[in-house]
Amino acid sequence: MGADTDVGSGSTRTGEFREEASRPEGDRDLPLSERITRNPGPAATWAAVVAVLIAAEFGAIVSGLLSVPPWGWVGGLVPGVVEPVAALLATVAERGAELPTITSRSVIDNTGYQTPSGWEGTTLGLSPAVAWALRVAVIYTYSFTWLLVGWWGYTLYRRHYRIPDWTPRDDVVNRFRRHSWGLFGLTIVFAFVVMALFAPVLGPTTVDQNIENPYENRIDYYNDETGQVESIFVGEANGDTQSRGQGDNNVGPLEYDQYDRFHPFGTLPDGKDLFTFMASGARVSLLVGLTSLGIAGGFAMVFAMLTAYYKGLVDLGVVIAGDSIQAMPQLLFIILASFVLSDTWIAEVYNGGLVLAILFGITGWPALWRAVRGPALQVSEREWIDAAKSYGQRPRVTMQKHMLPYVVGYFLIYASLSLGGVIIGIAGLSFLGLGIEAPVPEWGRAVSAGQPYVATQSWHISLIPGILVVIIVTGFNALGDGVRDAIDPESDIGDGGNENVAAGGGA
Amino acid sequence: MSRHARDDNVPLNADATSSRDLALEVENLRTVFHTEHEQIHAVDGISFNIRRGETVGLVGESGSGKSVTARSILGLIESPGEIDPASAIRFEGDNITEYTESEYESIRGDGIAMVFQDPLSTLNPVYTVGNQIKEALSLHQDLRGTAATERAIELLEEVGIPDAARRVTEYPHQFSGGMRQRAVIAMALACAPEVLICDEPTTALDVTIQAQIIDLLMDIQAERDLSILFITHDMGVIAEVADRVNVMYAGEIVESAPVEPLFAEPKHPYTRGLLRSIPSTQTSGDRLETIKGEVPTPNEPASSCRFAPRCPKSFEECSEVAPIPTAVGDDPDHDAACLLYPESMTTDEAVAHHRPADDGGEQ
Amino acid sequence: MGRWEYFLKRVLLMVPIVFLGTTVTFLILRVGPIDPAAAIIGPSGDTEAYAAIRDSLGLDQPLWIQYAEFMRDLLTLQLGESWVVVRGQSVWELVGVYGPRTLWLGFWSILIPIFVGLPLGFYAGLNPNTLADYIASFGGIVWRAMPNFWLAVIFVSVLTQSDALFGFSWGDWLVETQIVTPPDLSGLWEPTQFLGALKAILPAALVLGSASMGNEMRIGRTAVLETKNANYVEMAKAKGVPGRLVVWKHMFRNALIPLVPVITGEAFLLLGGSVLVETVFAINGLGYLFFQATINGDVPLVGSLMFLFILLSVGINILQDFLYTVIDPRVGYDGGA
Ligand code: SF4
Repeated sequence: MGADTDVGSGSTRTGEFREEASRPEGDRDLPLSERITRNPGPAATWAAVVAVLIAAEFGAIVSGLLSVPPWGWVGGLVPGVVEPVAALLATVAERGAELPTITSRSVIDNTGYQTPSGWEGTTLGLSPAVAWALRVAVIYTYSFTWLLVGWWGYTLYRRHYRIPDWTPRDDVVNRFRRHSWGLFGLTIVFAFVVMALFAPVLGPTTVDQNIENPYENRIDYYNDETGQVESIFVGEANGDTQSRGQGDNNVGPLEYDQYDRFHPFGTLPDGKDLFTFMASGARVSLLVGLTSLGIAGGFAMVFAMLTAYYKGLVDLGVVIAGDSIQAMPQLLFIILASFVLSDTWIAEVYNGGLVLAILFGITGWPALWRAVRGPALQVSEREWIDAAKSYGQRPRVTMQKHMLPYVVGYFLIYASLSLGGVIIGIAGLSFLGLGIEAPVPEWGRAVSAGQPYVATQSWHISLIPGILVVIIVTGFNALGDGVRDAIDPESDIGDGGNENVAAGGGA
Repeated sequence: MSRHARDDNVPLNADATSSRDLALEVENLRTVFHTEHEQIHAVDGISFNIRRGETVGLVGESGSGKSVTARSILGLIESPGEIDPASAIRFEGDNITEYTESEYESIRGDGIAMVFQDPLSTLNPVYTVGNQIKEALSLHQDLRGTAATERAIELLEEVGIPDAARRVTEYPHQFSGGMRQRAVIAMALACAPEVLICDEPTTALDVTIQAQIIDLLMDIQAERDLSILFITHDMGVIAEVADRVNVMYAGEIVESAPVEPLFAEPKHPYTRGLLRSIPSTQTSGDRLETIKGEVPTPNEPASSCRFAPRCPKSFEECSEVAPIPTAVGDDPDHDAACLLYPESMTTDEAVAHHRPADDGGEQ
Repeated sequence: MGRWEYFLKRVLLMVPIVFLGTTVTFLILRVGPIDPAAAIIGPSGDTEAYAAIRDSLGLDQPLWIQYAEFMRDLLTLQLGESWVVVRGQSVWELVGVYGPRTLWLGFWSILIPIFVGLPLGFYAGLNPNTLADYIASFGGIVWRAMPNFWLAVIFVSVLTQSDALFGFSWGDWLVETQIVTPPDLSGLWEPTQFLGALKAILPAALVLGSASMGNEMRIGRTAVLETKNANYVEMAKAKGVPGRLVVWKHMFRNALIPLVPVITGEAFLLLGGSVLVETVFAINGLGYLFFQATINGDVPLVGSLMFLFILLSVGINILQDFLYTVIDPRVGYDGGA
């Protein structure tokens, strides 16, 4: 690791981090920025690596960040003032998307056609399958590099800049590093998040071209009969590449269709590419899932703090409120509420994603709150809380400073468990034709589309989405288990009544 | 108290302790735990016995193998643990290590009963105290129904629980710590055992309650002529209750002696260290000494003195030769496993005495 | 506080919960952005019919009167009638037709996991770290991660074509049954009828119980592992209690305690999950009825059904507390919940 020759050189022990590099005593009370100025070596090396990583994806990062808010909707809220700004930002986002990045489609292009003399249009004349696989490999390598760089940055901080040699959190981290089941979960979850983040470039084609606007886009292909390169609307091409179980009507996983398009997961019954659909669906699921968790988690944590601090009547009130919400079966409640809200403006944000997120959030908090209530109560009985009270600390500060940090870990466990549940729930609703509006991809809709063909050669349509859900939910559960064992190796929480956090309302 | 019991007995020479007077005899007991990486010799070839009506102490720091010894006697060792087939535990003339599980069930409780360290967790929280005592009564005394309830109440009274008729229907969580331990003792008595193993019965309790429980145990012993194996890490408690003491360290018995000579003239450096760490034997003003370091995990057969790393007297051979129990001084009952003994020999001779025979030693 | 006082307190706590839940339902249906009358009549309705519906539902009255009547009707169990799904039929009659199917499904989807998941979990816990344990544990983890609706789709497809796929016809096996159809619940006391109804519901019950099965297995395993190492189990052995009795008396009941909320929690999920499973298997139960009522805008029916669901979940809650109180004497002690 390059420049850190002066401090702790050569003594990097990966297993045991209590072994600290010597820090000059004078650094003790300085703020972090000062500590970095004193010893800029490691931080500079790290920053340089990060800069390279950012540069490699600069365009995508800018456009990615800026395209998250629904600009059309935001602009519509306050016409006049906000609208032009929103429009400008939206343009910046589009421009950013055009900047070349190492993962962009144009760098490794997998669209092309096969002429008698070989592949045309693809990068270096590779076959589309190879080109696509290469791009996927680049994306995942890039992402996992980030993960490693992040970990490396943390270890640098721990060795060179952090004031205490050791904090209890180090033990948690070390325990997690040795928890192979948890690491397995982390890997799956990370791979899923990458799939969601890079959805637009992961698919062999794009949602816009292949799924949402197939009659506005054309593709070139080589016509064997005429010996010419011809072009065709994607929509028409899709019509010829349907997977409907019988005869020639099937494009299975890892197959090419007659227009030389490669389909890693095969095609949907309407001829669209299943992989592109799934990658984009992952993005929707994750976004809705995280938003709903943010909402549910916010409620749960605030209530946990309040009930643990004040107990008594406050606790009773939240118990009743939580039980009342839970008395209405979650999935049924969401079906009802999304029907009631279906004609309002809020239902249009993110094609119904926001409503779903809110509904999963307000129906999900009681379970989360129950899960963190115990630990919150426990910490509220500790001496240091009484001490804080006794010298007149304000309740809000006591809760934030002395109680919250202790409970956050437990929250993470259940957040991980329940995210899997929410993903199942969203898929279940879209299976019924509710929730996320078509044609925006959502996994449940693929299961539904493939339902008639499960026992035919087009089995992939329903099966692949289901298997992916199983893998991802298992991943989230494993991650939750790992975090739990890391935070609290003795405990048996997570067993018992809280299991149902992860159940997605029974979907 | 029990000390008199021994005085009434036959003189203390080896021949007189025929097996009829022995309540329990442990010979060369080895209990091994097989883990993924290594074998832990939790109990590594110990021998001792308990005479009728006598209290024998087993003392040592935590991790020395005391509790495994108790569980081995009761046949409660489960996979991955295993008792070496060459070991013998003789109870009523039988080598019970050869017993099947169902044969073992017939002597557990009846023959040998046990009182555990933490009274709260040794009582099943979902059954009343009475229910659990009556379970023992029905198993061992064939008492059922009202007869059993009455007997249970009597037993609770016997162990000094007030208002026993009401308490018999209460659940463990409704008892205080000391009362719970009394209830556990009542449960053990309900089995009418001959040998009672007490595994740190007072450690989880307050000091004042400790004293009461010890008095209770001593009274019961006097009344019922029980033989007790008393396990503790507390030298002070041992001094009060035991007739003879075995000091255990890392799976081995390093010193055994009747209680007076042991406290008056401890021989093994470890025993001396333990005694120095009792507050009451300190002259005032002195800092309380503790033995530095921890009990090592005995993960291979002994090839040296396991105490050597912590021993103030250790010398070179200590890390080469495993000492064997050797009589020290005149008292035939006083043994220590240390290369410094027998005292009558020079160090070289003594080392040669301890060296295994095939190494050219005399034994 | 005694155990039964605690139980009574829990039951009393259910009163505000029913009240609050019903109020939320009212708020959503009457104060929310939909007009119940417009929803009932659909896009084609004429103004006259519209006015008539508004009038008969009392929608023109002040909100607080609407609320009072809504609550009064539901709490006195006057559930009204359906306006769209089966026009004019009383809700009680509808529940009489649709309810038994859901109950039948629910009954088996709770029972099957208990009789399959629990023994497997206990077995795994009694024999930890054996191959059987690993298979059971891993199977449980994967099994409970499967989305119900997806599993249902797979079951339906595989079973309807079992003849072609495996040369074994599920439909003709033992008694002839359809796969995607409501179970015939008439004459359950006759063995063949009973068998037929059971067989018809079996795949759906397995699916709906899948998560429970995984959970019960996992928790059963940990619970047994924990109680197995508990000191009172060692004590029981030390006082000579025979091995079999140790397992049944001293381990089983203690291991059940953490399982109570799991089992009752499953019953909860079942209410929600029934929508999807009933739809895929075309069981026409309460979940399916609720779904149909919602997408067809049958607001009065939706409200009444939601009220019934609230009563059901509260009932399950009370059952859970009852079981707790019976099994665990520590309940209510220390104010423990
Ligand atoms: S043998 Fe050596 S090390 Fe062991 S106790 Fe004796 S003197 Fe100490």
